[in-house]
Amino acid sequence: MSVKMEASAGKLSENTLMIYGIVVALVGTYLTYLNAVTGIAVFSFFGGIGAIAALWWGSDTIKHLCSYGLGTGVPSAGMVAFGAGAIAMIAGTKFGLASPIVTLVLAAIIGAVIGYCANNIINMNIPVMIFSLMKLSIVGALTMLGFAAMCTGTFMFNGLVIGGMTLSMEPAEAAAGGAQTFMVTVLPEFASSLIGGAALTVIFFLGAIALQHPFNACLGPNESQDRTLMLAIEVGFLSMFVVAVMSYAFLDIISATVGVVVSLIGWVYSYKQYIALSKRDAYAWLDAKPIIEVGGNE
Amino acid sequence: MSALGGAAAGGEGINPTGTLVGIVILLVSIAATYALGFSIIPLIGIIIGGALVGFGVHFVPVGGAPAAMGQAPGIATGVAMLAAGAGLAGLFGGAWAFEATGDFAIAVAGGAVGGGLMMSITCMMVNATYVFAMGIPAASGKVAKDPITGDTFPEYKSQGTEGHGLPFISFFGGVIGGIVTGLGGTLIYLALLGIYETGLPVIMQAETAAIQPLAISLAGIFAIGFFLVNAVLAAYNITGTIEGPHDPKFKRVPRAIIGCAVASAFCGLISMLIVLNTGM
Repeated sequence: MSVKMEASAGKLSENTLMIYGIVVALVGTYLTYLNAVTGIAVFSFFGGIGAIAALWWGSDTIKHLCSYGLGTGVPSAGMVAFGAGAIAMIAGTKFGLASPIVTLVLAAIIGAVIGYCANNIINMNIPVMIFSLMKLSIVGALTMLGFAAMCTGTFMFNGLVIGGMTLSMEPAEAAAGGAQTFMVTVLPEFASSLIGGAALTVIFFLGAIALQHPFNACLGPNESQDRTLMLAIEVGFLSMFVVAVMSYAFLDIISATVGVVVSLIGWVYSYKQYIALSKRDAYAWLDAKPIIEVGGNE
Repeated sequence: MSALGGAAAGGEGINPTGTLVGIVILLVSIAATYALGFSIIPLIGIIIGGALVGFGVHFVPVGGAPAAMGQAPGIATGVAMLAAGAGLAGLFGGAWAFEATGDFAIAVAGGAVGGGLMMSITCMMVNATYVFAMGIPAASGKVAKDPITGDTFPEYKSQGTEGHGLPFISFFGGVIGGIVTGLGGTLIYLALLGIYETGLPVIMQAETAAIQPLAISLAGIFAIGFFLVNAVLAAYNITGTIEGPHDPKFKRVPRAIIGCAVASAFCGLISMLIVLNTGM
């Protein structure tokens, strides 16, 4: 049984963050469906916003899991979240319009099984283990789904695996009058798609780094919730920027540029906010004080 | 040692209830796979591959932050990072070998060699850094004598440390770990590739040759996901640092094998849902 050493009491409770994270991630992912409704792809960037909301919530969940002595460092939690999330996300996209919901449910189930393996078979005996891994798997799956939706403009399996269409023309028999006729068939191309070209792996690691970085960078005796969460938003926008650049390969120029502009504006704003919060926390430590023991069982 | 100073969790011994429930989950996953009309041979391959990854990770000498300061033996990074490096190198090697030859045995051997090569290069460069840049000799803190070479350690061990550097037994363990994890990762990849190569053309109504890049990409992404899940579960079993096969923590390995097998079985079942015809 481990002793809980650290958890900065934040203004926002874990459950509040979870509700905001799930709702914004799902709504953001569903807003990309406007692409299919309106026929233009400029709504793709909402997927990235949804992914950032999931990362924002996930960095707080990681904080609660890693404040127990896992012994393996914070990044491992981000890796397991996206390992499980990738499986749930790809399997979940098969379910058409219900994909985001199915992805969420599948991720929760996979996370519960992995959490059970870690907690009861491997004997970690950490009270929040199963629930935390469930939440982290959902974060991983929703982040990947959001970024994939932003990159391709859709969250459905066919859109993610079919990169384009090629026309194949084969000469058919000569028609009456001696004119040559051709048989035209439309062949889907898989190698140039998000999954077929394995570009999803880039999204995988962009998300995993963005998930594990905020708490890994901010942990310590004067960790404060608003600063960690602001860093999560900042690295989220940074990942979103890379995804927006990737989306030039899949979307039209205007839609991809909208994504780039939104992510750049978001990144500049959140970076400035994060620096301001860092200065605030640094100022609080201006006169060196002994390290405050937060929590614990004293 | 946690970065946050919390006591490392994880007791010794096997939890009988948890293990029993785990085995039930494993059997239910196999039964569900059979009931959905899939062949269970690929799932068995995934389970064995996952268990091999969990087993192999325990051989890798992981030092973490203390090793970076020369206060503990091993490679100075976390378990998940090292295992991912070795396993993914093996995975690429195996995938390449399968692409070139199409032979199962050569692909698995290629994966094992890829992982072993990656770990041996890492261990050698780590030792070069330790010896020539940090100026510390290799000495284990857990055993007095190297089980293979017979070198003695206590004379070289600095006071107040748990040992430092990378002794031969840890180097040996690292290479074995790379071979086993690379083999496991390649086995998972080949099992998934088999499922998608036969399943995807049917549900996508496309030619086998056209669907090939998609099958390879899907199998690769899933294999990375499986690999990271199993590596992190094994890392949780180790809780921090391990010196190699001579470390007392190595005795915990059965728990990791069971845990990884159960997690792989369930994730394998989910990954097969892709080629299930849902009509959507």
